[in-house]
Amino acid sequence: MGRGAPAALAAAVTALVLAVGLAACGSGGGGEGGTVKLEGEPSGKLTISNWPLYIDSGKNGTVKEFEKATGIDVKYIEDVNDNEEFFGKVQPLLEQGESGGRSVFVVTDWMAKRMYDLGYLQDVDKAGIPNVEENLLPSLRHPGFDPERKFSVPWQSGMGGLVVRTDLAPEVRSICDLFDPKYKGKVDFLRELRETVPLVMTCEGVDPEEATEDDWMKAIEKVEAAVESGQIRHFTGNEYTRDLSSGDAVAAIGWSGDAVQLQAENPNIEFRMPEEGCSLWSDNMVIPVGAPNPTAAEAWMNYVYVPKNQAKIAEYVNYVTPVEGVKRIFEETEPELAESDLIFPSAEFTRDCFTQTQLTEEDEAPVTRAWNAVLNG
Amino acid sequence: MRRGRSGGAPRGAWRWLREHAVNIVAALVVVYMLIPIAVILVFSFNDPAGKYNFTWVGFTLSHWGNAFGIPELNSALLTSLKLALLATVVSTAIGTLMAIALVRHRFHGRRAANLLIVVPMATPEIVMGASLLSFFIILGTPGLGFQTLLIAHVMFCISFVVVVVRSRLIGFDRNLEEAAQDLGATPLETFRLVTLPLIMPGVFGGALLAFALSIDDFVISNFNSGTTVTFPLYVYGAAQRGIPVEVNVIAMILFGVTVLAMGATVWQQRRAEKMSEVRPDQEAMPPVAIGAAEAA
Amino acid sequence: MAERRRIVPYFLLGPGTIWLLLFFVVPLFYMGYLSLESGVVGSLSFSWNWGNYSDALSLYDTQFARSFLYSGLATLICLLVAYPLAYTIAFRAGRWRNALLFAVVAPFFTTYLIRTLAWETILSDQSPAVDALRFVGLVPENGHVLATGGAVIAGLVYNFLPFMILPIYASLEQIDERLVEAAKDLYASSRAAFLRVTLPLSAPGIVAGTLLTFIPATGDYVNAQFLGSAGNQMIGNVIQSLYKTQLDYPAAAALSFVLMALIMVVVLVYIRFAGSEALMGEENL
Repeated sequence: MGRGAPAALAAAVTALVLAVGLAACGSGGGGEGGTVKLEGEPSGKLTISNWPLYIDSGKNGTVKEFEKATGIDVKYIEDVNDNEEFFGKVQPLLEQGESGGRSVFVVTDWMAKRMYDLGYLQDVDKAGIPNVEENLLPSLRHPGFDPERKFSVPWQSGMGGLVVRTDLAPEVRSICDLFDPKYKGKVDFLRELRETVPLVMTCEGVDPEEATEDDWMKAIEKVEAAVESGQIRHFTGNEYTRDLSSGDAVAAIGWSGDAVQLQAENPNIEFRMPEEGCSLWSDNMVIPVGAPNPTAAEAWMNYVYVPKNQAKIAEYVNYVTPVEGVKRIFEETEPELAESDLIFPSAEFTRDCFTQTQLTEEDEAPVTRAWNAVLNG
Repeated sequence: MRRGRSGGAPRGAWRWLREHAVNIVAALVVVYMLIPIAVILVFSFNDPAGKYNFTWVGFTLSHWGNAFGIPELNSALLTSLKLALLATVVSTAIGTLMAIALVRHRFHGRRAANLLIVVPMATPEIVMGASLLSFFIILGTPGLGFQTLLIAHVMFCISFVVVVVRSRLIGFDRNLEEAAQDLGATPLETFRLVTLPLIMPGVFGGALLAFALSIDDFVISNFNSGTTVTFPLYVYGAAQRGIPVEVNVIAMILFGVTVLAMGATVWQQRRAEKMSEVRPDQEAMPPVAIGAAEAA
Repeated sequence: MAERRRIVPYFLLGPGTIWLLLFFVVPLFYMGYLSLESGVVGSLSFSWNWGNYSDALSLYDTQFARSFLYSGLATLICLLVAYPLAYTIAFRAGRWRNALLFAVVAPFFTTYLIRTLAWETILSDQSPAVDALRFVGLVPENGHVLATGGAVIAGLVYNFLPFMILPIYASLEQIDERLVEAAKDLYASSRAAFLRVTLPLSAPGIVAGTLLTFIPATGDYVNAQFLGSAGNQMIGNVIQSLYKTQLDYPAAAALSFVLMALIMVVVLVYIRFAGSEALMGEENL
């Protein structure tokens, strides 16, 4: 080393000193929620983050109509692919009190609660959303995770179950069928812990709403065994739609509305209510801290709760609509949709379904760890 | 030499095969390398029914016509180009200076400097991206975005520029510089009027390499971009939802432009060599290897 | 005059060294700091938590093994595939040399992601290519190519082939052909001439190429993500998931260091075995 050594050593020491010194400057603190402050008439720009396949897009879509009606310039991004993944993306920003330009985004119940508890969300000002007050379905007014609906406004509800290629796997009718070796390597599962594992539990005869930590772990082990045997092709957010389209997967755990929109790709894709039952969930619009335009955000929420506007969305996405009055509209204009089990599920249709269970605080950590270990391969 | 067994034609054919086996394998490999490019090109003419561009449906030129019709794609592309341009300028300047120092001067710490240059090239990208992310997280500022991307890109480009310019400098004929100085030029003038123009091809090659690396970078950008979207990051996001055909079109355009740029470099190199009558060099590093080592 | 000469190199080196130190070396120290923290995001605290390292090794040993297996195989295949092509370009190409070199480098000019995704299309279960493979019998009737370890390795080979070809070509190109002629004049057969003269002289290129392929391939995650299945995840995928989705920065940082350390061990053993002049690129001053 000879001549090089002193220089190298000096460099290393400099680096170390710099590192230690700068480490003293920590990162900023997180934001506290607070309530949305409405300012005058809604105007300006609005950035919305939502899940894919969740709105009627296009030239005559809801976004364009909203822009026309209010003069607000909307940037609608479909970058919520998976709750945890989205959390991972925005958490560093929200921690600093920023939202990355977003004024509204849409996440599932349990994620909304987690974000709220961390101080990342603002309370909505109910004065700005009278339509929601008036038209929200009674069954959704006092959910467990947000009893006063302080920070969340439902976007759509839906069911997690089986999405199937009827031409390639016509006999798949229950979650247990997904473990049939006949379909080895052609089955996709959702990455969402609270979606997939309870469904797997039902295959074993356990009621997810009464499940113990042990039940969760056993179900996770079953999935792990399926990974090792090569049964499961991918764990996905929304990408299972791609695998089903191309035929690389023949059946997947997926979401009720997706199948309908996928039929444009391939008419052989269908949502099937599993024999064991499905999982019921809601996705919610929330306003993050640091939202640049909360006034416009509330105007958006208000707009989509007008039954006429909601009917347009419901017709396209085919998820369970949270707005009262849409069924009446469909009975006149689209009678088949009024009968659709996907948009207006009857009690009979969802008799075996369970609401997405909240993991208890003590179960959450070990179960999440175990699940992540399976996801990581 | 070995005598084969009896039998005329088959033996001849076998021998031909053996002699040309290497060439055949080489040809197959080349075809293999070009297959995906062909697929990307073909599918840029596809006319899919829905969102997914997997199966061939029908031929259309409409996506080529609409190449710049998707706003998010355009802004991602623009971001990538801006980033690559800035990163190239900065890293080429820094890298050229470093290369000159390393080749021309003896000084304490040469070994250490050498090491500092080589190690980043040998570090897995994920480690570089992750450590930079750790750095920015703990520091808190600047927020992840264009600035952090620029910092990261310059960082990984410097090493490559140094290596390319260095290889050009090594084959450089010092006599020219000495001649200039004998004729009264100051060291700075010599550098400006003699050295720099002659190493320009190397500098340009390094710049080209830096540009290519920056435009193509995915892993490090994925970790350090925050909400800024570069072209590869756009493709990554779109991969989950369905990649529009326009992405294939843009990829082919980028490809075409880079091919032309490379062709221009090669042409320019040959001209420079002929004009200055420097010994034809052996350029050892990719991708500037093309053109320099001529037998004639 | 002499005084100025001695400072000049430091000025020239200055900007680059500072940049690399600040943005390459220092972040590594930061990552080290992170790797010894504990707690969840938003409330991390430094606590000399070496547990992160032992966790890294025990929880993810399968992924580590898998990563080294995949990248090792990919490197080997790359070498076998690249050498004939490099040889042809160096010795047999003549006028076509530039065109061939271009063909080697061309894939670089399409974005990394896009060419990996192109392989996804080519190897999709219903694609003609895979049908052909089934017909020939290389793939079982109900089998699929995508979402297997094989597809991941194939992707790695494809993406890193230029890194193998170019160094080997560079070193082959510098071989004085008269040496080979001399060997033949001494009654060596073509094959012997190759094995005894060409091959050893191209060793530096082989060493450089294998290192330039193996090291990045081990940390790769793009190929595994798009071409592999849930059971083919490499250590890069785990690190990415820990950083971006699970937000477990300490574990991710520890894992990154372990990866670096393991790679370094393999590389050192390899260099000891293969000889080290090739690496440092000593030039004549």
